Amino acid sequence: MQLVLSWPIRIIVIGLLLFSLFVDGSGYVYRFVNHLPVTGNVAGLPPNFGGWQLYFHRGLDLSGGTQLTLQMGNFPPGQDRATVQQRTIDILQKRVNALGTAEPLVQASGSNHDRIDVQLAGVTAAQAQQVIGHRDQLVITTWVPDQSITGGPFPGYKPQMTQMTADMLQSATAELDPSGGAGWVVAFQYNGAGAGIFSQLSTTAYNACGSGGAASCPQGRVTNWLDLTQDDINNWNTAGVQAYQPFDSGGKLLSDPYIQSPITGGNGIISGNFSQQSAQDLATSLNSGALPVSLTIVQSSDVGATLGADSVRRSLAAALLGLVIVVVFMIAFYRLPGLLASIALLFYAGVLLAIFKAASVTLTLAGLAGVILSVGMAVDANVLIFERFKEEMRAGRTIGAAVEAAVRRAWPAIRDSNTSTLITSIILIFASTGSVKGFAITLALGVAVSLVSSIIVTHNLLAIVLNFGWARTDGMLGVARGRA
Amino acid sequence: MACWGLPVAELSRPSDVAADEATKPKVAAPTRRLDIISHRNIFFLISLLIIIPGIVSMVTRGFLLGIDFQGGSEFFLSFPHNQPSLAAVEAAVAGEGVNGQVQQTSNGTFIIRTSVLDPNQAKTFTDDVGRKVGSTASIDSQQQVGGTIAAETVTTALYAIVAASALILFYLAFRFRRVPGGWQSGFQFGGSALLALLHDVFLLTGIFSILGRVFGLRIGEIDAFFLTAVLTVVGFSVHDTIVVFDRIRENMVVSSRLTFEQVVNLSIMQTAARSIITSFTVVLVLLSLFLFGGDTLKGFALALLIGIISGTYSSIFNASPLLVVWRRLQPVR
Repeated sequence: MQLVLSWPIRIIVIGLLLFSLFVDGSGYVYRFVNHLPVTGNVAGLPPNFGGWQLYFHRGLDLSGGTQLTLQMGNFPPGQDRATVQQRTIDILQKRVNALGTAEPLVQASGSNHDRIDVQLAGVTAAQAQQVIGHRDQLVITTWVPDQSITGGPFPGYKPQMTQMTADMLQSATAELDPSGGAGWVVAFQYNGAGAGIFSQLSTTAYNACGSGGAASCPQGRVTNWLDLTQDDINNWNTAGVQAYQPFDSGGKLLSDPYIQSPITGGNGIISGNFSQQSAQDLATSLNSGALPVSLTIVQSSDVGATLGADSVRRSLAAALLGLVIVVVFMIAFYRLPGLLASIALLFYAGVLLAIFKAASVTLTLAGLAGVILSVGMAVDANVLIFERFKEEMRAGRTIGAAVEAAVRRAWPAIRDSNTSTLITSIILIFASTGSVKGFAITLALGVAVSLVSSIIVTHNLLAIVLNFGWARTDGMLGVARGRA
Repeated sequence: MACWGLPVAELSRPSDVAADEATKPKVAAPTRRLDIISHRNIFFLISLLIIIPGIVSMVTRGFLLGIDFQGGSEFFLSFPHNQPSLAAVEAAVAGEGVNGQVQQTSNGTFIIRTSVLDPNQAKTFTDDVGRKVGSTASIDSQQQVGGTIAAETVTTALYAIVAASALILFYLAFRFRRVPGGWQSGFQFGGSALLALLHDVFLLTGIFSILGRVFGLRIGEIDAFFLTAVLTVVGFSVHDTIVVFDRIRENMVVSSRLTFEQVVNLSIMQTAARSIITSFTVVLVLLSLFLFGGDTLKGFALALLIGIISGTYSSIFNASPLLVVWRRLQPVR
C-alpha cells in the first residue's frame, strides 16, 4: 500500500479535513467572536463564498412545510411542451416568491414535461393551494370617452372590454430591444383569431391619436389588465384609481402602452425603459393571465413544523446514541486500532457534513437513514481489516507485515461490497423520486467518504502510531500472538 | 518497515500466491469447527419455515398499504386543548362522506384516512371535524396521493430493484470470473448471492405482510420508507455475502488441496466473526433508532432490523451452501 501511505495522499487528506472543518466550524467561530447566539438564524454567517452561503438544506419532513406535485393538463396544441412547462414554472415561481418563504422550490418533473414539483417551507397545504391554484385572467381593453367619468386616471375616459380573450395570447417573452441599444422589451405573440382582432384595435387606436399618442390621448392605448371586471368599469369613478395601480402593488394594471403603429401580424413588442428584470416580470405576468394549462394537485404532503422538529431531535439523538455505542464497542473489542477507527469516523462525519453543505444536499429523514447505513459500512470496512489483522498475527507475522497483509487482503471484499452498494444507490438516484432518492444520494456520498476514511485514514493513523513502542504491545493491539 | 511498501496485488494471480505461500505458514485448521455445509439442509429448512408463511400471507392477505402506495389522503390530527374520544372523532368523520377511517395512536393523535382530498377540501374537512368534536384540530401532518402517482411509485421501485439486482449479478460474475471455472463459475457466485438476497427480501416482506394483515399492526405498513428499507437490506445482504465469497475466492487459490466443500466451510468460519460483529454494531444503532427514534422511523428501523439479521443469517447459512449445491449440480471444468 505504497500509495496510500505516501505523503501526497496524506497532504490531500489533511487538506480535505481542514477544508471540511472550516466549512463545518467557521460559522460557530463567527458566532462566538461576535457574541451571537449559538443556534438560530444569523444573516451573513460564514462560510460565505461571494454571496454563496453554505448551510444545511433541510427537507420539508424535517423543517415543516408543504410539498405538492402538480399535473399539467390541457396543453395548447402546436406549442413545445417543454416551453409551456417552463413558462408555467416561471409563473408559479413569481407567485410563490410573493409568499416570502425561505428557499421556495418550483421545478420540472414528469416524463413528458407534464408535472411540476413545488416545495414550500413553513406553509400549509391549503395556503399553498390558494397561491398556486389561483388563476389570473388577462383582460385587454381600449379606452373610450365617457362624460360621466370624473375620477380615475384619465377623467373623461374609461376602459372598454374588447373581444380579445386571454387564451389568444400565445406567449410573452422578455427580449433585447431589436432596434438596438441595451434596453429590454416584451415581445408578444397572438394566435390567428387574436391577431385579427388586435389588428382592428390597434388600427383604431392609432387612427384616434396618430403615432404621437401621448398621455393626453387615452384612446391611443390598448391596455393589459389582470382580473379587471365589468363591475370595475361600471364604477370607474370610484374603482378606477385603485385598479390603475400596478398589479404587483395591489392594483390590476399590467401595462398601458400606446400604439405607435397598427399591429396587423399578431406579434409585436411593448417597449418603455424596461430593465431585464422588469421586462421579465411583465412577460411573466402577461403569461400568467393567459396560462393555458390546467394544474391539478395529484400529490401533496404537509408536515407541521413541530412534528418536523420533533423528528429531527429524536432521530439525531438516536443516531448519536448509536454512534457512541459503536465507538465504545470498537474500542473495547479492538483496543488501539478501534480507537483509531473511531477517530477515522470523526473524519468521516466532518467531511460528510461539509459535503452536504457544499453540494446543497437536501437532508430528509430517509437521507439520515442513508447516513446511518453508511456509518455501518464504514465500521464494517474497519472490522474486516482488524479481524484480518488478528488472524495474520495469530499466523505469526510481525506487526508491520500483519497490518500490511490485513489491509491488502481485506481490500477486495471492501471494494466489491461497496461497489455493489454504489451500483444500487446510483440506480436509485436516477430512477426514483422523493424520499428514496434522498436516501440514495446520502448513501452514495456516505459510502464514497467511508471508503476514504476506513482505508486511507485508519491505515495511515495505524502506520504512524505503530512507530511508537508503547503501541506495539499485544494488549494495545488486542491480539493473541501465535508462535511462528 | 520495509514491508509497508508492497503494492496491492490481485489475490488470484499465481505469482502472488506463490509468494504468499512462501511467507505465510499454512492456515492451521481451526480446532472448533462447525460443519455448516454438511448440515445445509437444516439451514435451508429454517429459512423456508419463516419464508413460506410469509409468502402465503402475501398471496392470500396482501399488504397493509401506506398512503403513498394506496392513494388517498391521510391526516395526523391532534387536539391539544380538549381531547375528544375516538368514537366522537369517528362520528364526525363519518358525517363528512369522505369514506374515512380513524385510528388512534398511543399518544392520543388521530390518524384519519380518506378518499383523495385536495388541500382546500382537506382544510374544510379538518375544520369540520374540529368543530363537530368541539375542539380545534391541529394538523401534525397531512398527505394526499393520487392513484396514478401511487402506481408509478410502485413500478419505478420494482424496476429499480430488478435493475440493481441484475447489475449486481453481472458485477459479481465479472469480479469472480478469475476463479477456476471462469465466467460460468462467476455467475454461480453472483447467482448464489442473488438467491440469498431474494431470501432476505421475501423474508422481510413476508414478515411485514403478516404483521400488517394477520396481526393488523400499523407498524407493518408498506410505504416509501419500507421500500427504502428493502433497498438497504439488498445492499447489506450482498455486502455480507461478498465478504464470504471473497474469502472463498482467496482460499480456493491458497488452499488448493482442500475440496470445494472444505474451502467453503473454512471461509465461512474465517469470516463469521466479522459478519456477526458488523451486524451486531448495525443492530445496536438500529435498536436505538427503533426504541428512541421518532415515530416516523419506527417501522423503518424494524424493517432494517429484520432484514439485517436475515441478511447475516443468509450470508452464512444460505449463500455459501447454495453455491456448493449449485456447483454439484453444474460442475465446472
